[in-house]
Amino acid sequence: MKKQGKAIAMISGGLDSTLALAMVRAQGIEVKAINFYTGFCITETQRRKGGRQDGTMPQNEALRAAADLEIEIEYIDISGPEYLDMILHPKYGYGANANPCVDCRIFMMKKAKEVMEREGADFIFTGEVLGQRPKSQRRDTLWAIERESGLKGRLVRPLSAKLLPPSIPEQEGILDRALLGDLSGRGRTRQIAMAREMGLAEWPQPAGGCCFLTDESFARKFFDILGQREAAGEPRHIDRDDVVLMTTGRHFRLSPTVKLIVGRTEVENGVLQTYADGHARLMATQVTGPVGLVVGVPTWEERQLAARILARYGKGKDEPTVEVSWRDPDGGVETLVVEPERDEARVEQLRI
Amino acid sequence: MASSSALPEPVQVLDTSGLLCPIPIVRTAAAVKGLKDGDVLLVIATDPGIATDMPMWCKAMRHEHLATFKDGPSWKSYLRKRPRLPRHEGRP
Repeated sequence: MKKQGKAIAMISGGLDSTLALAMVRAQGIEVKAINFYTGFCITETQRRKGGRQDGTMPQNEALRAAADLEIEIEYIDISGPEYLDMILHPKYGYGANANPCVDCRIFMMKKAKEVMEREGADFIFTGEVLGQRPKSQRRDTLWAIERESGLKGRLVRPLSAKLLPPSIPEQEGILDRALLGDLSGRGRTRQIAMAREMGLAEWPQPAGGCCFLTDESFARKFFDILGQREAAGEPRHIDRDDVVLMTTGRHFRLSPTVKLIVGRTEVENGVLQTYADGHARLMATQVTGPVGLVVGVPTWEERQLAARILARYGKGKDEPTVEVSWRDPDGGVETLVVEPERDEARVEQLRI
Repeated sequence: MASSSALPEPVQVLDTSGLLCPIPIVRTAAAVKGLKDGDVLLVIATDPGIATDMPMWCKAMRHEHLATFKDGPSWKSYLRKRPRLPRHEGRP
């Protein structure tokens, strides 16, 4: 009779973590699932803005998976300054975009370790597959994550376990190594076959990741803000308001220290109207159009340019002139009458 | 739309207005910890994600989801805390 164990599962609700969950639970191990809220989740942002572009509403897949398998789940909110600081100073560097995946995994594993200790669990496991991702799932990085999080021997990747050194729960007989997987690489054929075999009903299709940090257009805005702060002589930092603004609207760089954001939808206009104090807001007064938000202190020319770009995206775009109301953060209001910017090449050049 | 008149009186009301999903669920989990078995919690939220998140969270945690509906500008969600039973074993 083997020893009854308890494990903490890091789940996303994707196919791999769901399979890992089913695989560990099939060994009679009590499982508690955890999921991290980083503030950079594309799905949550889409939900907030009323769904995907095709009109469908994405669901929270981690919750769905936990509900399907009736597994206790705990959400851990890590979207605070400590996490943002890690993103700005990643020891293992960035991936192709603003994604410090290895450092982020280490960060999460340290939090998971706290849960493991609090719950009296024996180990933590994930749906990671050896060699599936170019940076964070290489053999050496899987090892670095395990070592740096202080989880040596207690971080199990059930799907690839047979290809990795035996973990402590395997050595202690809590987990039967013979029943764990030997998957590696990017293919998904074997996972899909396993899912069918285990009778798993539903899993989301991979859609290029759920994290804004891996998104190219987000990364441009991210590094642009850091550049702006540097140009203004400010320390390298990012806060929660920045994150919300980076995922909202069209962004235009008017000068090294001045940026314009123009809403694309009613929801985005609402965000630009209400979120983040201390910025100037502009809006056309006599025709419907978007809300604009200006970061930095613009010159007279830059105010004119911002108003012209804003006017271009409203109902007055074909009018000779548009009246734009400019509200400064100190409450002062000025009315500008401008010609909507018609030089598309110029606008595109300013776009971040 | 469900009618609130048919719903039990909550022991506690948790207002998560202005918080973005899944934070309302994080707060709900903390609030439920402080309740007794059988107690009813009313969660108020402005993020529409609550409409799908709350029923799923209740199913995962085995609490009784009574109703989630839109009430004016916000959402209301009722749940009843259930005792934690020992987990089933060996079932995938």
